[in-house]
Amino acid sequence: MRTTNPVMKGLLLLVLGGAIGYAIGLGIDLLVSGTLNFSGSVSAAFAVLLAFASFFFGVYGYRGITRGLVWQIVGMLLGAFFVSGIRALVGSKEIFGQFFFSEPAWVFGALSGVVSFLFGVGALDDWMKWARGLDTPEHHEDPPGWEKYFYVSTDHKVIGIQYTVTALFLISVGGTFALIFRSELAFSQLQFLTTTFRLFNQSGPQMYNTLMSLHGIMMIISILLGVSGIINYVVPLLLGAQDMAFPRMNAFAYWVAVPATVLFLLSLVLGGFDTGWTGYPPLSVRAPVGMQMFFLAVFTAGWSSILGSLNVIATILRMRAKGMTAMRLPIFVWAGLATSIIALTATQLIGLSFQLVMFQRLLGMGFFDGARGGNPVLFQHLFWFYSHPAVYVFVLPGLGVISELLPVFARKPLFGYRWIAMSSLGIALVGFLVWAHHMFTSGMNEYLRVPFMYSTLLVAVPTGVKFFSWVATLWGGKISAPTPMLFVIGAIIVFLLGGLTGPPNAAIALDLHLHDTYWVVGHFHDTIFGGFVFPFFAAIYYWYPKATGRRMNEFWGKVHFWLMTPSFLVLTFGMMLIGLRGMRRRIVDYDPALGFDGTHLILTICAFLIAASVLIFFINLFYSIKHGEKAEGNIWNSRSPEWQVPSPMAAHNYAIPFKVVGEPYDYGLPGSKYVEFISEPDYVTETETTHAKTEPH
Amino acid sequence: MIHTLDNKSLLNQGIIIFAYLAVLTMLEYFVAVAFDAVPILVVVAAIKAALVAYYFMHIYKLNLESHVEDEHSYAYKAATNRLGLWLFLVSDSFVFGGLMVARINLLGMTRPHLNQLLGLFVTAVLLISSFFMNRGETMMHNGDREGFLKNTMITFFLGLAFLLGVVLIEWHTVPAIAEPILHLFGEAPGTEPLTPSAGPAGAVFFMMTGMHAFHVLTGLILLAIVWRNGRKGLYDEKQYPVEAAAVYWHFVDLVWIFFYPALYLIGSLT
Repeated sequence: MRTTNPVMKGLLLLVLGGAIGYAIGLGIDLLVSGTLNFSGSVSAAFAVLLAFASFFFGVYGYRGITRGLVWQIVGMLLGAFFVSGIRALVGSKEIFGQFFFSEPAWVFGALSGVVSFLFGVGALDDWMKWARGLDTPEHHEDPPGWEKYFYVSTDHKVIGIQYTVTALFLISVGGTFALIFRSELAFSQLQFLTTTFRLFNQSGPQMYNTLMSLHGIMMIISILLGVSGIINYVVPLLLGAQDMAFPRMNAFAYWVAVPATVLFLLSLVLGGFDTGWTGYPPLSVRAPVGMQMFFLAVFTAGWSSILGSLNVIATILRMRAKGMTAMRLPIFVWAGLATSIIALTATQLIGLSFQLVMFQRLLGMGFFDGARGGNPVLFQHLFWFYSHPAVYVFVLPGLGVISELLPVFARKPLFGYRWIAMSSLGIALVGFLVWAHHMFTSGMNEYLRVPFMYSTLLVAVPTGVKFFSWVATLWGGKISAPTPMLFVIGAIIVFLLGGLTGPPNAAIALDLHLHDTYWVVGHFHDTIFGGFVFPFFAAIYYWYPKATGRRMNEFWGKVHFWLMTPSFLVLTFGMMLIGLRGMRRRIVDYDPALGFDGTHLILTICAFLIAASVLIFFINLFYSIKHGEKAEGNIWNSRSPEWQVPSPMAAHNYAIPFKVVGEPYDYGLPGSKYVEFISEPDYVTETETTHAKTEPH
Repeated sequence: MIHTLDNKSLLNQGIIIFAYLAVLTMLEYFVAVAFDAVPILVVVAAIKAALVAYYFMHIYKLNLESHVEDEHSYAYKAATNRLGLWLFLVSDSFVFGGLMVARINLLGMTRPHLNQLLGLFVTAVLLISSFFMNRGETMMHNGDREGFLKNTMITFFLGLAFLLGVVLIEWHTVPAIAEPILHLFGEAPGTEPLTPSAGPAGAVFFMMTGMHAFHVLTGLILLAIVWRNGRKGLYDEKQYPVEAAAVYWHFVDLVWIFFYPALYLIGSLT
């Protein structure tokens, strides 16, 4: 057994478990419906659940994440059978439906599955002990090696990597979905997602809708997890803290996202949903049970975002090193604070809006049913109150990464530190006032349009401040361009394109024309790639040595960049081009007479090139863990505290605390100093005196 | 400065604040019944909320104990936890705010058909429970464990009474219990009860009270845990959990300060 590669074993069990689950599902389906349905939902649902659990069983054995997944399956079935049993007792209600369980049974089962996962994985262990009146130690020691990433660890560095890897997994799943429907769009007419196509109770066009919707939401969740990943890993290091303010809640916030991922995949197989990730009623009231899985998954993943950002704010306010005043905070920390303020508060509104639809479906509450006095536009207001600021949750940390890395590679002070710091908060606050610009065509009160147009245009002001500062920082710098810097430059260019294509959408008259076209799709992908994806890759290339002690391959990093950037630019230009000429978004087919066939083919090829470049990145990432060039020192020649100690980072971060003695970004100024490690004797006496002062508590 | 008062005066302060809150609640009720004056109701609710946030939830403590130097001391950690709890409450209040927006959007200046007297009654129960919670917390602070346990127990049962009042009677889940009691509060027999699927009024009422009842339930669980561990003497020294449970309980009350007029008092019957 020792000699088998755990990943191989996991993959073997994945196939085996999937097959067994598929067989169980087929059998159940046969019992309930009386016919064998080889492409049905029930068999696929069981296959997905068992395949996941078996994979991790093979990799890791029955503990940590495997235990969580098994508990989730058991909890889900128990919950669903419980509701089915009640329905059987009450009588008069249908017990088993098209998807084996009835809709209320699936909803309750999914919810109890999430709670069971959290118990099973052990994310609630310490709190349960507290409730029983037992005390638990603040820090558990993690074993060395890769195994600590599969169970509940409270170390922020482990959690940061867990988040990042999960985000990369979701990116590849969401990207695969995009490739599938992009292939369908390469030519007009239906090629393989035809009306006779039948999978998971969906026809081809319905499958297109489900994949398109899931591409949206899985990318969004992966971005949220990626944001949490970088912030979790980097912020405590930048602050000089040993860990986050609430390590257990930090672990909880990560682990609650895992069952959410399972629910997303279940929504695909349980009939899917065709509303797009926005889930507007009344369509979302009529969609299959997959819609409910989607709502629950977003709701669950939302808690990850809320609790994670709560932790970030508390950490920034309470855990800073000595001398780190507000105006000496690293700029990335400012960005993390701004993004967390939005995620902490606004996320509740998307949860609420989805809950209301959920209850409308379950109990017949008429919130958004116009026929019964409800108001569908109310949903859009509640939904966009989060979902617009959400894009600032995505991009603010990315813009923070740009500002953080630029001075390192330009060897010059960051231009206008205060303005950059305040512009992050400015974007966050203005971001709360712009949501209804998504609804210019929705039939809301017309007098609301103009104020929302102006508030939207106002966002360009703090964003412009950032661009001004970046250009001024680069101006006359001694620029070197290793892979992280390439991605930073790419981010600035792509985000500029995304930014410039934004104000046309904000202008009401133009928006009435542009609404729901590929122009918007192109604009959105530009902002998110520029604001998140490029900086995310830059951050991974930049901080990778800090986590592993090795650096990623420079040559393949450059290949990744030079393959991805041109393909991406062509992709979004093409999208905007056909959008302006009338290509609708979210639609499986288009009229050949429009003459978009050639452009769509180019877009599809570009999408595959981007996927190839990301594949190169993945191989580079995993290969370099063991085989990368050793990089234990300050390889980027950074002033930041985490680079002043050897890599990889020690378990409890800094053995000797530091204090801040200067400005963070004074690169190239002779004699300037940012941090100073408190020398040993000083440190001992200082702690002794503070202990003496506060002991009488 | 309030927080420098001695223990005896702190208990007296609780009584005075409760008296203010009770008078304001009565005032609110009579203003609403006598004439339809929404601005007055908003002002009264804001004053009540401010009193609860300051005197019962001690919002000023956020600033008070945050400057402890030693990062490993209990006081420092308690101050961090306090900040975390308040951030959570801020986040949570966006849910209730969203529900309030839904209520205003869907119902406007009308209100669901509910028994106003019963509403006043359950509101009073919750308010009194907050009074006892404050008393219990203050007593624990004084080192009076027995007093703390007694008052927390009273709080728990008043909270339970509120929860059952809403779920059994207001929701009409068990007509055999609900009907006689509603009759006692002057409801004509045979009145059609509100149901979740009865249009926006029913939807809003059940969603708002449901979300609030869920928070009451979690608050009750926290109170039970704190009572049980308090009896073992766990909080004689480290008292932050008591404060946390109390602040959460008062938050539930704070939400009801706004939900009660929004559901029972504002506007006219449809």
